[in-house]
Amino acid sequence: MALRHDQGIVLRSYPFGEADRVVVLLSPNQGKVRAVAKGVRKTKSRFGGRLEPFSHVDLVLYEGRNLDTITQVEVIEAFPHLRQDLDRVLAAGAMVEVLDVVAQEEEASHRAFLLLQRSLRTLEEGPPHRDLVTAFLLKAADVVGVGPALAECAGCGATGGLHRFSFAAGGVLCDRCRTPGAVALRDGLTGYLAALAAAPIDALPEEDPSLSDDALGVSRRFLEYHLDRRLGAAVRA
Amino acid sequence: MMFEAPIQRLIDELARLPGIGRKSAQRLAFHILHVEEEDARRLAESILSMRSEVRLCDRCFNVTDSEECSICRDLRRDPSTMCVVERPQDIVVVEKTQEFRGRYHVLGGSISPIEGIGPDQLRMRELVARIEDEQVSEVIVATNPTVEGDTTALYLARLLKPLGVRVTRLASGLPVGGDLDYADELTLGRALVGRREM
Repeated sequence: MALRHDQGIVLRSYPFGEADRVVVLLSPNQGKVRAVAKGVRKTKSRFGGRLEPFSHVDLVLYEGRNLDTITQVEVIEAFPHLRQDLDRVLAAGAMVEVLDVVAQEEEASHRAFLLLQRSLRTLEEGPPHRDLVTAFLLKAADVVGVGPALAECAGCGATGGLHRFSFAAGGVLCDRCRTPGAVALRDGLTGYLAALAAAPIDALPEEDPSLSDDALGVSRRFLEYHLDRRLGAAVRA
Repeated sequence: MMFEAPIQRLIDELARLPGIGRKSAQRLAFHILHVEEEDARRLAESILSMRSEVRLCDRCFNVTDSEECSICRDLRRDPSTMCVVERPQDIVVVEKTQEFRGRYHVLGGSISPIEGIGPDQLRMRELVARIEDEQVSEVIVATNPTVEGDTTALYLARLLKPLGVRVTRLASGLPVGGDLDYADELTLGRALVGRREM
């Protein structure tokens, strides 16, 4: 049993015992970390609001047999503004939900961590790009190794006539490779998805409101197909 | 080792309660075995009567033993202000402050997309209906200062403001008797934003 140092972004927490919470964090070095914050639900807890979701914190943990116990918390970045806007909170909620599903315990996750950190910073700065969550889903898929093929056909590598999307084949398909289960994409959607996936999260391409709903729908269903799990209401909103 | 059936049965039941482990359950069971029979009967009856008599208030969804709770029946309470809380237990906490003389509305939880709880699972529709029926002019949102509680408050503000009602939120700040040195950034930041003229 020893003390150890770690840092991470709080994904969520759930009540544990009388006044404690189990906090689930995404650490760049350790992947998903679960730790007990004793007494955090009491108003006079010394942790206060430090362990609320989305906070990037520096931790001192006391290693236990099953769960570690948090003994000290220091906030690195609190993202106070995104918490005051319904749309931004819901977007951040969708992001942490996805990473909570894909992140594994004791598996370094630098890319996932950086993706979340950049995305939260973007949300903190101002009203978000309307397809920020869609871009996040595409990038999260890439981080876990199932990034969809969007610039070329997933079947033959052709770069033209990409009008279908197959969840099983892992991306867009040209007219020759199309399979019965592949969904038809509206004009321009392939290019829009590819642009969202390729651009940095804080410099996404110009918004196209007419394609937003379809872009989110395809990205969400693609990720759900490969994670074999339905994503919650936040991702659907 | 197992105890004789009647004792073991009680131990098993007690151990299912929150925060009660096997050892505590055993201690409680043997305590009940040794108290006066009348005391044990009173305990059993109070559990049964609570379960059969308690229901939710038709108006505010507080726990009560009649159609409306004592707060909704009390004509001295100010009907123009309404305090919205997550759970019935929260009403007792607010009442203890003796600072609030209006009525309550219990939502039954808070919005949590991760757990699949959206506005439709909470008593939002009932709240809107009450605001219109009871001519409420101010709604005080007293949900927990957590991400879920704050999200619920933001949603309520968006839902209720178009009705022409004033929507306020309980202030966040430093706990009385606390030490500034131990305040976290988020709480202290909110305390600064919500500072008051003296």
